[in-house]
Amino acid sequence: MLKLENIYTSYGPIEALKGINIEVKEKEIVCLIGGNGAGKSTTLMTISGINRPTKGRIIFNGEEIHNIPPHRIVEKGISQVPEGRRILPRLTVKENLEMGAFTRPKNDIQEILPWIFETFPVLKEREKQSGGTLSGGEQQMLAIARALMARPKLLLLDEPSLGLAPIVAGKIFKIIKEINEKGVTVLLVEQNAKAALKLAHRGYVMETGRIVMKENAEALLNDPGVRKAYLGE
Amino acid sequence: MLLQQIINGLTLGAVYALIALGYTMVYGILQLINFAHGEVYMLGAYLGIIILGFLTSIGLTAISLPLSISITLVLSMLFCAAYGMTIERIAYKPLRNAPRLSPLISAIGVSIFLQNFVMLSQGATDKVFPPILKAEGLSILNARITFLQIFIIIASILMMAGLHLFIMKTRLGKAMRATAQDRKMAVLLGIDIDRVISITFIIGSGLAAAAGVMVAMYYGLVNYFIGYVAGIKAFTAAVIGGIGSIPGAMLGGILLGLLEAFGAGYISSEYKDVFAFGLLIIILILRPEGLLGKQFGERSK
Ligand SMILES: Nc1ncnc2c1ncn2[C@@H]1O[C@H](COP(=O)(O)OP(=O)(O)O)[C@@H](O)[C@H]1O
Ligand SMILES: [Mg+2]
Repeated sequence: MLKLENIYTSYGPIEALKGINIEVKEKEIVCLIGGNGAGKSTTLMTISGINRPTKGRIIFNGEEIHNIPPHRIVEKGISQVPEGRRILPRLTVKENLEMGAFTRPKNDIQEILPWIFETFPVLKEREKQSGGTLSGGEQQMLAIARALMARPKLLLLDEPSLGLAPIVAGKIFKIIKEINEKGVTVLLVEQNAKAALKLAHRGYVMETGRIVMKENAEALLNDPGVRKAYLGE
Repeated sequence: MLLQQIINGLTLGAVYALIALGYTMVYGILQLINFAHGEVYMLGAYLGIIILGFLTSIGLTAISLPLSISITLVLSMLFCAAYGMTIERIAYKPLRNAPRLSPLISAIGVSIFLQNFVMLSQGATDKVFPPILKAEGLSILNARITFLQIFIIIASILMMAGLHLFIMKTRLGKAMRATAQDRKMAVLLGIDIDRVISITFIIGSGLAAAAGVMVAMYYGLVNYFIGYVAGIKAFTAAVIGGIGSIPGAMLGGILLGLLEAFGAGYISSEYKDVFAFGLLIIILILRPEGLLGKQFGERSK
């Protein structure tokens, strides 16, 4: 479904991605782990079209997408929940959700909202509150729900459990699994590698802008190097 | 006397508010002070005189003055909206990722260009409005309000209410607020930022043109320099209200208009600019973010 071929991305003189290859197949959860500054967020931002690769190709469902504008990438079915959630603080919860459906026909909002509120009941309760007043966990739920409003085929999640209490993080992981079972393909970036690998089918390990390992999730969980570096053993 | 100053102040304030909205909206979205905005207002005023002059020459004003004024207002707004959008495309868009100072300098350049263009094409002397507006009006207590003042106040209120509804209720308005609050996130949500920015300039320029036409009718004359003073006043109003805040621009404009009218009425009209900038300094010292400061998109609850 998604293929990154030899992608290079730079911030001015800093080369953050140095020729990475990643593939995500339909219905998979693929996770991307790696230390701080490895280039995980840059990878997602490059897929979303916010950062432009200087070299390489990104192919989504048979189409090159690395040189089309970011809003067109959303239209094609790739939504991202960025690091730090980025809830629009002075829009209400409902308005945040509406903005998630910006690329959809107007009447689509009414069709998808019931399902969203069923999956995230707390958002229904908070519908009229402004986004900035939600707790961290609620904001993460809103961020995911908002991305789902676009009916993505592929969902990019950047550190969704960051800063959340373990119980709340567990809830988020459960929701990710549910979403995937409903047919949404997921590319998950996580610093909580253990939880992510338990959820994922396959994983990539990233170090300083390069992919250094590519395995199915179970193999990564049992790999001594990974255990030492990312699972804290 | 008091009532008279309030009437005069509201008229002036409504005009300031309309111009201030353009500054504040563009700032909210791009963090750019659009120095060319005052000149769009000036252009609107000239267009008002030219169009209304034309309508007079074909005899339409004699048949229906309200219709003529409406046509003038709409045409001038449309023209300036297109103009503002074009300025953004040519002078600001290419600099969007440049250091913040670059678009600012570009804006000053556009402003100087426009002033000189109008001076050369229309002449450096005052241009007088066709004398078709009689100073008819109503007397309330011992004050007088002309029909023109009533028109300016009501039209301004309608436009501001319309803008408020657009920003708060429509999908595009919400996208504008989203963009002002977090541009990168807006992009990630699939909002076409270029379109949002264009619309911001279209609306801001249209409102400035409306203000220009109304002022031209009110004072009866324009010159190529009016954009400078009005621009600075309206920018002051935007800062007083809190730059980036739409209700702030409305409030700041009205306050400034009232202050000037009171200052002119009770102290001396020579000093009216002193009051405006005096208030600006006081606000900047006591409440630098402005009265209703914070990015627009702020919900009043
Ligand atoms: N906006 C930026 N400007 C310059 N360098 C950046 C920027 N964002 C990230 N980087 C650099 O790119 C590299 C990868 O960063 P990032 O993708 O955020 O890593 P990760 O998400 O894996 O922690 C780091 O060296 C970081 O310092
Ligand atoms: Mg990151």
